[in-house]
Amino acid sequence: MRQGRLVATGAMLAFCLFALWQSLLLSLTDRLGPGPGFFPFWLALIGIVLSLALLVSIWREPGPAADASIEEVRILPHGWGALRCFAIVGLLAAVTIAMEFVGFRLAMLVFNAALVIALGERRWWLIAVFAVLGSFGVYYLFTTWLDVLLPTGRFGI
Amino acid sequence: MIIRRRTLLAATAAAAVASPALAQNYPRRTVQLIVAFPPGGSTDVGARILAAAAEKDLGQTITVVNKAGAGGQIGFTEVARARPDGYTLGFLNLPAVNTIILDPERKAAFNVDSFIPVINQVLDPGLIWVKGDSPYKTLADLTEAARKNPGKISACTTGILSDDHLAILMVQEAAKCEFRIVHFDGGAQQITGVLGGHVDCAFDNVGGVFKRVQSGEVRGLAVTDVERSKFLPNVPCTKELGMPTIISSSTRGVGAPKGTPADVVKVIETAFLKAINSPEMLQKMDAVGLALKPMVGAEYAKYYADTQAQAKKYTEWALKMR
Amino acid sequence: MEALGHLLQGFAAALTPGYLLYAFVGCMLGTLIGVLPGLGPAAGTAILIPLTFSLDATGAIIMLCAIYYGAMYGGTITSVLINVPGEAASVVTCIDGHQMAKQGRAGSALGIAAIGSFVGGTLATVALVAVAMPLASLALKFGPAEFFALMVAGLCLVVGLAGNNMLAALLMTVIGLLFAMIGVDPVRGAPRFTFGVEELYDGIGFVPVVMGLFGVAELLLAAEKRQTHMVEAELKSWMPTGAECRQSAGAIGRGTVVGFVLGLIPGVGAIVPTFMAYVLEKRVSKTPERFGKGAIEGVASAETANNAYANASMVPLLALGIPSSPTIAVLMGAFIVNGITPGPFLFKEQPQLVWTVIASFFVGNALLLILNLPLVGLWAKLLKIPFSYMCAGVLIFCVIGAYGLKQSLFDVWVMLGFGILGYLLRKLDFPIAPAILALILGPMMERSLRTTLEISGGSFAIFLDRPVALILLAIPVIVIAFLLFKPRSLAPLRESDIE
Repeated sequence: MRQGRLVATGAMLAFCLFALWQSLLLSLTDRLGPGPGFFPFWLALIGIVLSLALLVSIWREPGPAADASIEEVRILPHGWGALRCFAIVGLLAAVTIAMEFVGFRLAMLVFNAALVIALGERRWWLIAVFAVLGSFGVYYLFTTWLDVLLPTGRFGI
Repeated sequence: MIIRRRTLLAATAAAAVASPALAQNYPRRTVQLIVAFPPGGSTDVGARILAAAAEKDLGQTITVVNKAGAGGQIGFTEVARARPDGYTLGFLNLPAVNTIILDPERKAAFNVDSFIPVINQVLDPGLIWVKGDSPYKTLADLTEAARKNPGKISACTTGILSDDHLAILMVQEAAKCEFRIVHFDGGAQQITGVLGGHVDCAFDNVGGVFKRVQSGEVRGLAVTDVERSKFLPNVPCTKELGMPTIISSSTRGVGAPKGTPADVVKVIETAFLKAINSPEMLQKMDAVGLALKPMVGAEYAKYYADTQAQAKKYTEWALKMR
Repeated sequence: MEALGHLLQGFAAALTPGYLLYAFVGCMLGTLIGVLPGLGPAAGTAILIPLTFSLDATGAIIMLCAIYYGAMYGGTITSVLINVPGEAASVVTCIDGHQMAKQGRAGSALGIAAIGSFVGGTLATVALVAVAMPLASLALKFGPAEFFALMVAGLCLVVGLAGNNMLAALLMTVIGLLFAMIGVDPVRGAPRFTFGVEELYDGIGFVPVVMGLFGVAELLLAAEKRQTHMVEAELKSWMPTGAECRQSAGAIGRGTVVGFVLGLIPGVGAIVPTFMAYVLEKRVSKTPERFGKGAIEGVASAETANNAYANASMVPLLALGIPSSPTIAVLMGAFIVNGITPGPFLFKEQPQLVWTVIASFFVGNALLLILNLPLVGLWAKLLKIPFSYMCAGVLIFCVIGAYGLKQSLFDVWVMLGFGILGYLLRKLDFPIAPAILALILGPMMERSLRTTLEISGGSFAIFLDRPVALILLAIPVIVIAFLLFKPRSLAPLRESDIE
């Protein structure tokens, strides 16, 4: 936890430093006062100060007591739970890429089936019904009835 | 499937090569009309009325898609990048398209040639207006005050490099005066700004405020056009006031991405022209204060080019001032 | 008193079976829009406008207003059940609403939201009838300078959202503000921090961000714990209990006032009143530590403020013809298409119509309550769906929600990225709410400061000439002074050192 917070605060510090550098490429002032770079510059500066202060404050925090180590919250997913998390993130990324090529319906069909299987569902008929409803059904509902356009792929479906 | 692949082929085969089979089959599915401004605005209202009317003649649903943001740049970019198969059309707002192209900082992903101007729908002339009880009764009063107190009289636009911004520059040039230019984000803020006494005068278009002028809540000083607006017969136009160089309007029509086959463009043009010329269209547009100005083919293309040339001068001036 | 007579006539008209039906259908469709992803109230209302074309003007407007209310309420349902806020207005509801659902109190949360919305909406409409005109002209005095001051004061709310770690909250605020800087800057109208990515020209989309930070992150946390259901607790309540209602009464009252006052000011947006009401509630509460862990007052105040805001924003529309939010702008467009131009002249030209519409606001609010209370149980039952299907369903929902508003796959990537970020921040105990508030307020703050300086010709003295702006700007100063006097609250982490 403590280590994780240190890393995260460090990442935010890096982000603010990057923003500071970027803001210096813009003009800080103009004819009427604050220019395009004004807000980003000061915000990044304040962010740097805050993240340094937070780093120090976390650093001075006492380490976890010995008996608390079992209870300690893990930051990154672990064990079987981690696999499920990676399945969600991985499939979501895959479906976003796939939608551009094969369209919403096909991509979602595979996504739905794969995700529920990954999360432990084994009844094939339920999976099939859900996958079809969640892709072709949803597509029909949204495009025909609600005027929300969903991606169609290279082949027009 | 097969039709679709043919469309694709035709599209990639590019611009002038018109495949007769394509136009015969067009349109086979829903046509998207991209509007680069948010729902509820003048552009959107006009586009929706047009889409609803043209659907009947086109024989397919026309879906209005709002892709608002960055003064129209998001939507225009989308149109320019769309597959040129006639299924994605866009509403072109002039001179918004032109000023975005002309501002190098905008790094626009499109240029003048990215669009085929198909048909124009609306010409909404600019309107210079003040509060109903303002001491400025005429445009001359206003410019006189701005000349005596350079940079003290505030004039608001609906956005940086909008047609209203250019109109202020035109007035400054013609009347040799200087305003304090305030950029608002759309017409609603102008109303709050002027009625609340935060700014002295506003530059907008007739469609946005004509009802308020009619009711006397605000006073229209001049319409920036060669003739008076039919919605505001009592407000003089800049030409009759002896300032013929102040001609500014927001013009909106339908454009297609470059490379759309000519016969498909013709189909679209025919359907939309019929819709624009219908009496119901006139009635609906009159209700919202938007003046129809159908232009097609060479006439619209020339207008598009002229706007670009006019916008160039004032955009460069505006860029120098910032 | 003349107004009262008009209003009674209006009621007589609005309560005819035909108009009642329109209001009913409108409420239902609106709620559906609010629940379904990808639409948002503005676009959702826009696509329903053609439905009203066949009706007479009064009927059309009654239906459109009902759609608007319904849409504002619908987002609550997804916030409570699956922690996915459909739009800005229901972000705050997520904070305590979903926690309540996790404790098996989804019914209470949804019920109090419906009741709060009804009370807030109705009281705001009463105020509209009583003081619309004088208040509207007062609202005009609220210029860019006052607006800037309000945004600064609003940003100070993060102090109230901070929980036990002020430094982290402030840092998250700054990070949120930096993200808000992405897009076209208000000074030159040129893109800033976009790195040539056109999708960023209009800034980072708010809906994808909150869908990621709340919805996707919540799923990841649940998946890691290998939950069998999104909410594992047994459903304990279908309705708020008497005690819960009493607990929320004060929150509903205060939420109404906050929502109504801020609704009068054009352009504030629904998120500011909900955050303000929430923070106010936390401040006055004797047990502020319950907030964020399923405090019913948190849900009640935010939802009440939201609906009071929605109704109060009709004041600038009807009295001045100024639309104060994108959704209201759509409504106004529909009014105009139906031959009614909102504005001061409307009360004179078509009093019959205006008062019928105002009467229909009351009817719409009441219908919304009648429609939603019985449905609360049904919605809560959705939580019984097994996690695998729920997870896939919510993700479909989020993908459409992120994609649909702008038809952009880039926004789906944004959602995924912020989902992972949200997961990590939750694990690391960094507060998310301040960053979200900052993301919304940042651009408005910068833009209004710019406009103020354009008006004043670059002089900051303009703030000294304006009492309202000055008072609003004093709030942050007082808050900071308060913090300096109580340095302990600034560094609670160090308390353990002292021990």
